[in-house]
Amino acid sequence: MPRLRTVALVAGAALLTRRALRRRVRVSPLWPLPALDPPVSGRPRSRALRLLLTSHETVADGVVRLRLEGGGLPRWEPGAHLDLVLPSGLVRQYSLCGDPQDTSSYTVAARLVEDGRGGSREVHEQLTEGMELEVRGPRNRFPLAEAPAYVFVAGGIGITPILPMLRALPEGTEWRLLYGGRTRASMPFLEEVQGLAGTAAGPGARERVTVIAEDEDGRPDLATLFADTAEGTAVYCCGPEGLMAAVEEKLPAGATLHLERFAPRTTAGGDTEFELELRRSGRTLTVPAGSTVLAAVRGALPDTAYSCEQGFCGTCQQRVLEGEVDHRDELLTDAERGDSMLICVSRARSDRLVLDM
Amino acid sequence: MSNTPARSVESERIALKARNVSFSWEDTPLHWVPGDPFTTHTINVLHLLLPAGERWFVHVYKQVLPLIRDDRLREDVLGFIGQEAMHSRAHDEVLPHLREQGLDPTPYTAQVDWFFEKLLGDRTLPPGRARRWWLMERVALIAAIEHYTAFLGDWVLNAAELDRRGADPTMLDLLRWHGAEEVEHRSVAFDLFLHVDGGYRRRARTWATAFSALVFLWQRGIRFFLENDPTLTDPKASLKDFYVRGRQGTLPATGDMLRSVPRYLSRSYHPSQEGSTAQAVAYLASSPAALAAQKAGA
Repeated sequence: MPRLRTVALVAGAALLTRRALRRRVRVSPLWPLPALDPPVSGRPRSRALRLLLTSHETVADGVVRLRLEGGGLPRWEPGAHLDLVLPSGLVRQYSLCGDPQDTSSYTVAARLVEDGRGGSREVHEQLTEGMELEVRGPRNRFPLAEAPAYVFVAGGIGITPILPMLRALPEGTEWRLLYGGRTRASMPFLEEVQGLAGTAAGPGARERVTVIAEDEDGRPDLATLFADTAEGTAVYCCGPEGLMAAVEEKLPAGATLHLERFAPRTTAGGDTEFELELRRSGRTLTVPAGSTVLAAVRGALPDTAYSCEQGFCGTCQQRVLEGEVDHRDELLTDAERGDSMLICVSRARSDRLVLDM
Repeated sequence: MSNTPARSVESERIALKARNVSFSWEDTPLHWVPGDPFTTHTINVLHLLLPAGERWFVHVYKQVLPLIRDDRLREDVLGFIGQEAMHSRAHDEVLPHLREQGLDPTPYTAQVDWFFEKLLGDRTLPPGRARRWWLMERVALIAAIEHYTAFLGDWVLNAAELDRRGADPTMLDLLRWHGAEEVEHRSVAFDLFLHVDGGYRRRARTWATAFSALVFLWQRGIRFFLENDPTLTDPKASLKDFYVRGRQGTLPATGDMLRSVPRYLSRSYHPSQEGSTAQAVAYLASSPAALAAQKAGA
């Protein structure tokens, strides 16, 4: 009878399907659904830590060293910096200069900038031992790359990111350091730096560390420093703008340059006017000093989405097509900063910016 | 809470503003409602659904902005977008903590991501009627979902039983900060829906879809957590568990949930009739995370 056979077939198929499904359900408690692309966004934020300031001591003229203690702190790589949230709410970046493997404390050093914007003065004068500070990070924008040889150039407080690098270099690595400052008394960690040079200096080795105090020795001689630099040498420089410009200029061919500016937000802090092109809508606007990209964009495209206007919610993220961005948000990852920006707070470092809007 | 300030706040218009909160999860145990994995995991499902779901809200609302003709509503929607973006991120940050404790949520969140980004995503629709229809449908879906988020927000603000059981304070702060903001902005999604469409049939249809989807995703999430929890030997979940905890007060009561259904479907419904803005604002004024955010922003 054909009807009976149909019923038997359908029943059999149903049983098999159920079995197959039940096994899959048992393997995973969930039903299988199609494969996915990774989520559109989902930026893990660097965690805020509250640390206890256990030591606040002057280590050179106008330089204090802070030791912040906590438990189970994230490890860091040489070159990393911390965001310090000062009691007044100012946020400042300081390079870590302690031991990267130490998970119970962070050490940073800060120079007093007489005519600065108040952050370093607060660090010097308002912070006292026993205070609790909020800290974000650590993050690394100045990582130590692998290279056959290294040349380090540090100006004054610029020694802080370089010191952990020197300690981390494997035994036998070829490196040289030029450490400059205004006076010997104003140069932090001088003894330690000279100690590092002494331990590994073999016979015939060139003097590894050159210390130059401007009041005694005059300007540093970069030409001698860079003489017979091997191909592929990594040059690391952290110091005042003038020093970094000079290093950039004298950089020998075949060497790679890594720069760390003192607090990128500080140097770019002066809000300057720049030109903004919205390529998709074919408009060119001017962002005046003291105004934001968002304000300019809203004038042209009133339906642009935004929300917090402080650079933390991420709503106003836009793709950048051309131009160098001065990132002032606290949200985007370094990868995201490569091709996008939060237009509510960030500005241009170049005099022209092109957005995909 | 006294009634006098409640009225004065209720009648005022609250300007919605995202708060830059952050939580640290190191000290939160796996079963943060002590001795009650079912309640813990039922609420934990929020951490699975919300990151993708609220990102999707933001995505849809960014597209609706050009259709808003009312400046006040636009301002509310912009505030709503920022708050939802922060909710999404705050819940997302719980997931690594769960993973550290041996409960990897990736298989489930991958499905939720697919659900919101592909199934409810933009799709390749021709501009014009089809695209607008799909956008309106999603706006109405969000309004229906927001009815439930406001319901849950109101519930968690009043869930004193969780405090009595010694639930983890950080987790309670996350839930109550989130719940309070949901109560605070509970009218926005519905007002937006009324502004751009407002059809009753669409409201009823999308309510049915949203309700079924929430029930479906939620029970899957609970089963997923219970079955993958490394500390449980008998991972059984049943409706009875839910009902019993609703009576005890550690989860929303089944009866309250059922009663909220005809309210949303009533033609005279407006979210402002539900929950209390005054209570939400009072919580936000005392929430440790919201306070820290305010201090940092000042």
